[in-house]
Amino acid sequence: MGLRVELAQIRPKLGDVTHNFQKHIEIIKTSSADCVVFPELSLTGYVLRDLVFEVYKESEKAVNKLSEHSKCVIAGLVKEVRPGILRNSAAVIIEGKIDYIYKFYLPTYGLFEERRYFQPGDPRTDLRIYEYKGYKFGVTICEDAWHYEPIEALALMGADVIMIPAASPMRRLSSTIAIREQWEALLKAHSIINGVWSVFVNTVGSQEEEFFWGGSMVVSPLGEIISTAKLFEEDRIITEINLNEVRKNRFFSSFRDHLQGFHEVLHKL
Amino acid sequence: MMPDYVRKKLLLVDFDKITEYLVERMREYIKESGKEGGIVGLSGGIDSSVTAVLLSKATKNAYFLLMPSSSTPHQDLQHAYSILKLVNATEKNYSVINIDEITSLFSKAVGTDDKLVVGNIKARVRMILLYAFAQKHNYLVVGTGDKSELMLGYFTKYGDGGVDILPIGDLYKTQVRALGLHLGIPEEIVKKPPSPALWEGQTAEGEIGLDYETIDSILYLKFEEMLDEETISKITNTDISAINKIIKMVKTSQHKRLPPEIFRLSGRAINSDWRYPRQWG
Repeated sequence: MGLRVELAQIRPKLGDVTHNFQKHIEIIKTSSADCVVFPELSLTGYVLRDLVFEVYKESEKAVNKLSEHSKCVIAGLVKEVRPGILRNSAAVIIEGKIDYIYKFYLPTYGLFEERRYFQPGDPRTDLRIYEYKGYKFGVTICEDAWHYEPIEALALMGADVIMIPAASPMRRLSSTIAIREQWEALLKAHSIINGVWSVFVNTVGSQEEEFFWGGSMVVSPLGEIISTAKLFEEDRIITEINLNEVRKNRFFSSFRDHLQGFHEVLHKL
Repeated sequence: MMPDYVRKKLLLVDFDKITEYLVERMREYIKESGKEGGIVGLSGGIDSSVTAVLLSKATKNAYFLLMPSSSTPHQDLQHAYSILKLVNATEKNYSVINIDEITSLFSKAVGTDDKLVVGNIKARVRMILLYAFAQKHNYLVVGTGDKSELMLGYFTKYGDGGVDILPIGDLYKTQVRALGLHLGIPEEIVKKPPSPALWEGQTAEGEIGLDYETIDSILYLKFEEMLDEETISKITNTDISAINKIIKMVKTSQHKRLPPEIFRLSGRAINSDWRYPRQWG
């Protein structure tokens, strides 16, 4: 038996935690999956600007209420980690127990302005591995998948599955959706290099000027796109993942070799 | 002329997807703002024709306002009627209002016949009419500005610039033309020289001194690819003084694209460090 993961590609209403919470509950209650994964900042919406100061408390309360209903749920919120310090967070709720992971790389370029509001997580204390039904997984938020280290670290720490809640907006008009192709490439690379399942769950719909394209997907450890959610609209898909695919990768790859020397060099840069 | 390099970037795009995207966003915006539909001022030019077609795809409640003046070429009015036909407008969802009388009252009150002042009065009279009709129907005012005009500042502040949304505001004029062809807009509308028609004989390209293919190439290369003026001059085969003129137009019109400046006094001033999304409550 594999682990059934639901990709809950929702369109959150910006700043309306009550509305978004209801949507979470509705999906959790009707899901037949073991684990339900929501997008980044799924309880609050992404393009919050100064609304972050108004919604963080409510989003934390919503997570507490979610924990009453959950088996395994990953939902996005703004968490106050100490008075006046907010982090872009994901709650990992397993059988009613809540833990939090924090975004490390906060995009602050182009249309993004996360450093204006959030403090980054600290890899030395905030990398976590969870286990549910015999599956070890890690969670990393959106931009963290645009770097090597967060997923590499989680995989080396024991994760066989990486859940990636995201809020990826569409940009750079072309004949194809360039950002989607870039995500496919990133997820395939992470999966192939680390022998992990990559579960990417994107937000969908408009928030202010931006438009989130959806297209959530699951990539196997062999780098194959196993399932894809719809573009541009809300969708829910369930994908069953298993450890055999992880073995198929790792038996015949050099993932087992971790040359710490590289990290010593990187550390000094 | 548009260099091949730029043509590939701007015009080799999926116009089906763009249409679907813009229509969906208009639909969502109308719904989220609690409005029942949208209104657009239809001049018979390419921008308003494309916007009208997109609006009619987004909602059943689309209203079209034709507001000709003495400086409106007869042909433009004919073109506007052909768009009404294309979107299957009936008498219930369009009106024609000649603005000459209102305009002349304003001009007399101001005591001027300066073509620029009167031209801007025309644009603002149209804005007032659009908003009055919009409010009457509980509709949104759908703007028709394209990216080229918005960047150049080639619009009247609080005139055609006074709108609720700008659906084609991230498409250059040449992209809007291509989208127009894709949407089945008659070629004579797509190909005629763009004009605000604020006075007789006015054409955009005449006033700016370059054709839109070149203008768009310069805008794209300067502000999206961030190339220097000399390189742009080589790629577009355009004199550097013309490129500088375009860049200057963009820079000096920045005030038209931003909300009015507020002089700070408090610890938290609107827009400066008080930044809330539109979708707030």
